[in-house]
Amino acid sequence: MGESTFLEMNDILKQFPGVVANDHVNLRVQRGEIHGLLGENGAGKSTLMKILYGLYTQDAGEIYLDGSRLTLESPQDAIDAGIGMVHQHFQLIPRLTVAENVVLGEREPATMFRPEAASESRLPDALLSNSLVQSIAKQFSLGLDVPKRRIQELADQYGFDIDAGAKIWELDVGQQQRVEILKALYRDVDLLILDEPTAVLTPTEAEQLFESLDRLTDEGLSIIFITHKLDEVEAIVDRVTILREGENVGTETVSEVTQADLAEMMVGREVLFQLEKDGIEFGEPVLQLNDISADNDRGIEALSGIDLTVREGEVVGIAGVSGNGQKELAEVAAGIREPTGGEIVVGGTDLTGAKPKRFVDNAVSFVPEDRLRYGCAEDLSVMHNAMMKEFDGSRFGDAVGLDYDELAAYAELLVEEFDVRGAGDVTATDAGDLSGGNLQKLILAREINRDPALLIANQPTRGVDVGAIEFIRETLLEQRKDGTGIVLLSEDLDEITDLSDRILVIYEGEFVYETTPDRADRDRIGLEMTGGQATGEPGKTGAEPEQTPVVTGQNGEHR
Amino acid sequence: MAGFVAGLLDATVAAATVFIFAGLGELISERAGVLNLGVEGMMLGGALGGFIVTVVTGSVWLGLGAGVVVGMLFALLHAFLCITLKSNQVISGVMLTLLGTGLTTFYGSNWVEKDIDGFSEVTIPVIGDALVEIPVLGEALFHSMPTDYIAITLVPVVWYFLNHSNIGLELISVGEDPEMADTMGVSVFKIRYLAVIIGGGLAGAAGAHLSLAFVGNWTNGMTAGRGWIAVALVIFAQWKASRMLVGAYLFGMLNALEVRSQGLSVSVDPGTPLAGIINPVAEFLMNAQIMSTYPYLATIIVLSYAVIRTRSDRLAVPSALLQSYSRETD
Amino acid sequence: MNVEVDLTAREDTPRWLTYAVPVCTILAALGVGAIVLLVIEINPLEAYSIMFVDTLTSEIGQTDTLIRAVPLILAGLAVYLPLKAGLFNIGAEGQLVFGALAGAWVGLNVSLPGYALVALMFLAAAVAGGVLAAIPAWLRAKWDINEIITSLLLTFVALEILSYMVRGPMQGGSGNFPQTERFSDAATIPTLFTRVHAGILVAVLMVALTYVIMSKTRLGFEITFIGSNDEAAVQAGMSKYKVYLFVFILSGAFAGMGGISEVAGVQGRLRAGFEPGYGFTAIPIALLGRNSAIKVMLAALFFALLFVGGTNMEVFLGIPAALVEVIQALIILFLIAGEFFKSYRVTVDIDRSPAPAPAETPKGDA
Repeated sequence: MGESTFLEMNDILKQFPGVVANDHVNLRVQRGEIHGLLGENGAGKSTLMKILYGLYTQDAGEIYLDGSRLTLESPQDAIDAGIGMVHQHFQLIPRLTVAENVVLGEREPATMFRPEAASESRLPDALLSNSLVQSIAKQFSLGLDVPKRRIQELADQYGFDIDAGAKIWELDVGQQQRVEILKALYRDVDLLILDEPTAVLTPTEAEQLFESLDRLTDEGLSIIFITHKLDEVEAIVDRVTILREGENVGTETVSEVTQADLAEMMVGREVLFQLEKDGIEFGEPVLQLNDISADNDRGIEALSGIDLTVREGEVVGIAGVSGNGQKELAEVAAGIREPTGGEIVVGGTDLTGAKPKRFVDNAVSFVPEDRLRYGCAEDLSVMHNAMMKEFDGSRFGDAVGLDYDELAAYAELLVEEFDVRGAGDVTATDAGDLSGGNLQKLILAREINRDPALLIANQPTRGVDVGAIEFIRETLLEQRKDGTGIVLLSEDLDEITDLSDRILVIYEGEFVYETTPDRADRDRIGLEMTGGQATGEPGKTGAEPEQTPVVTGQNGEHR
Repeated sequence: MAGFVAGLLDATVAAATVFIFAGLGELISERAGVLNLGVEGMMLGGALGGFIVTVVTGSVWLGLGAGVVVGMLFALLHAFLCITLKSNQVISGVMLTLLGTGLTTFYGSNWVEKDIDGFSEVTIPVIGDALVEIPVLGEALFHSMPTDYIAITLVPVVWYFLNHSNIGLELISVGEDPEMADTMGVSVFKIRYLAVIIGGGLAGAAGAHLSLAFVGNWTNGMTAGRGWIAVALVIFAQWKASRMLVGAYLFGMLNALEVRSQGLSVSVDPGTPLAGIINPVAEFLMNAQIMSTYPYLATIIVLSYAVIRTRSDRLAVPSALLQSYSRETD
Repeated sequence: MNVEVDLTAREDTPRWLTYAVPVCTILAALGVGAIVLLVIEINPLEAYSIMFVDTLTSEIGQTDTLIRAVPLILAGLAVYLPLKAGLFNIGAEGQLVFGALAGAWVGLNVSLPGYALVALMFLAAAVAGGVLAAIPAWLRAKWDINEIITSLLLTFVALEILSYMVRGPMQGGSGNFPQTERFSDAATIPTLFTRVHAGILVAVLMVALTYVIMSKTRLGFEITFIGSNDEAAVQAGMSKYKVYLFVFILSGAFAGMGGISEVAGVQGRLRAGFEPGYGFTAIPIALLGRNSAIKVMLAALFFALLFVGGTNMEVFLGIPAALVEVIQALIILFLIAGEFFKSYRVTVDIDRSPAPAPAETPKGDA
């Protein structure tokens, strides 16, 4: 192959119960390049990289680095071979300092025991070179002076602004990510894997990251950059390998292809779903958000000045890249996150600051993004989960008592109506045993059968199989006909355009663009989603790549 | 008055030693992420084991060693259950205490009447004699059991070990984020095992000190809840070795005051205003049993204050405490 | 030769294993106990026969077992209920003692006709236990402060308060011993048959109450759901606050009633050393019976049998009763070890082939 092929992954096969995550995948990375790994959620990118990093072992296939075959049974093996990884969720201990985090596992002894510091040390050479002494020193002492200097040198070399003595919790996200990178650099890696690094960064921070990556490759480092965002591929990647449903569908040089080509390779087909949408008249407002602001879990502002009105029978689609406030918006509208400012009115009732119960009582239904965490109790039966929102009130018994037989019958009804497969005996099967798609159908069934006035659906078809996707979308449209106001949040632009009556684009906690499906210009939407030119975003340097939206249609693995 | 203070200090130092040993052991274990509620049982085991060996061999030092070994054996069981079998740490610990209490009562009844030559008070070599002459403090601080001295020197040793050695760094990381530590090549299992076993050994030492030095004989259940106080102590000290010493002396002083409170009474002249309220209240607060509750109440208050006032990512609790770890590969 | 022990997480626990594990662990614990007995030269079969068979078949044995079971059942419920909500009540012992204290105070200082006094004592005990339990519950519900630590520490506080009261304000008799007066007849729980006192009625009633709540009411549904996934539950509108407080306070009441039933039904007065340990024994009982209040009751009966049988062993064979504590703790240790086997499948691989040849670098172009 190429003269400068540095990494070769040949014919990698990795299977999990029920799914082939990597199906005879080949990957070639050249020395000094930034190689992108592109694919939708569940395409197999993470699995492949975990194999490379020693967290998983492949079922078949070989890995060669710089010509030598590698057997990787643990991350330590990978690091020893010169492969480093920067995870999406940082592996840092907030309570400790940068230096301590970087040095963990390397067993740096106190300075006076370092052999190379023999001249500085007061200890006799004989003692220093004794292996027992070294071993004891490495375990029972810790010298941070030399490491700190090295860390500072590395940081300066690559333009990171880091104080090695600072505690991790004092740093911001971008800096923390750079500490992660430093961890790898400190260990002299030749190949660095970055797993969706911009997921947690602001656009400015992402720019800075890209600059650092360029400098790293200038110094000879090879980089694998995992992403599902096409604009990033354009911005920073030299060559890109596209994975789809566990297979490698091709490797391209970025400068020689268009985003449309890449998108098609990622998704693999024309958009299938043609849905019938009737024109209907909208009724009274079921949801009014006035000047809403809210913080995220970290205490940082995620929504600023949101105004939103949803009417009976209207579907409002909210498009945006994950991490711009969608989760917080959904939670505020559903009543499980308290806004820091503004008003919420549901069906004419002011519910600002009200507890979740009142939202439920006011006919608000919610299909959350993280269904296992917020949408169900996976250790409880299908029956229990079917009843999750109706535990109070008059159905299925009287004020105090609960008729479990009636409950079971209701659960069975839902299972049948909504084609929830694998439910078996609804009182015995645990919700956690259902597949992703079927669990989602159950949750949807539960939420919709309450006859809600307002339904909030956050990524309702993520991780769901094709058949179920169609069913779910049709169900949403039926609810629309029924007069339910729907807030639909989705990363799937097709879903948004097919189902919505109005489309709003959210970016960094604000609505930046509004349109309707007939007037929708996908290029423009994509642009707005990534904070493009139209908003006059400062700080963007270099040529503006053509922004096209991320097309995520079908998803694979995910639960 | 001076005599009272001196006596109080002496008793404080003696009482604190038990807490220091057991507390340091618990600290090491918890910083590695494993809660050990079996301290009380391990202490009893160490007390009885040490006592028996001393009676049989005549050597207090062998007895002390035996106490440590007994503690370690118990801890090995706890470690196996919690780390390898990933059982619930709370239940395993409480059950070990039950086991320890039961076993020591079962076997210990034969040894209750026995007598030994326990540890005797000594002074530090060379400078000791001069130091003892210091008024008030001298006797109390510098004329103590060897185990008292060991305990005090252990504190800075443990502090150094935790905060300035690589093993300590790895131990802390295991208690904060075992997954991350594992990825960095740290052996999570090994470190947790070591931490728990050392913790048990120290608890055993605490017990041995109790039967060989502090009291000088064996009675069933002689630990009288000190093991639980040690657990509370670690929380009170917010998992910092430096604060353990202060806490141990505080709790130790409370312990010593309890015993002495009989002869002590605080009262104001009946003529002063509010005397009718102040006196009974003071008497209540100085009551021996009521005073015994102070360490526990103080710990609850400190814990509550810490949790309420601190941002969740800055809490002193080791983040992975109570979590079993398994490398979920494949 | 390579021996590899592989652990694979089970997806589903086979039904037979769920029953086999408790049985096997009990057998294993008895097995270890047998070894201990052999060491002190007692025939284990003889010992166990006295412990179990004789106790169950004699009237005295049955009576004693029922009497012993009362506080165990109540304390077991006190740990079981919070467990369903995902909480650990390690402070049942303290709540039990506190309840005994309050009930005793009422019994000694209030006079009412007929059975009203006893009823009031139970009420006082329930309230006192509930109040003590409310503290860790509130701290957890409001600020997420770990209830294991708080409930445990409060246990010791309660014990000391008992000690104080019994040496001071509540000291009775000639004033020489740290104990209260004997309870008057009015303050003693009436017996139902043989020596079994009415406390057993209370215990069974509470079991029934708990069972009904958990399996037939909306509140029980909420408790179950919050115990399984509190985040989803909150999203659905359930109140963690309400549930946490409810389960802990009711549990404290149960434990308190367990305490007074022991003191006013069996002991006749409150002593300084009243620290029966039922609160801690309740933990394994709740574990054994974790799925239903009825199972908790059965587990409690089993443990009561163990205790009474142990005493019999002591009387007839001279074995210290502490052995029972040892066996009991062993049961638990084996029980939690057994939990492991429910969740993981262990396979042992013995590979007799020689180690594979070292990897070779490929020739030609890479």
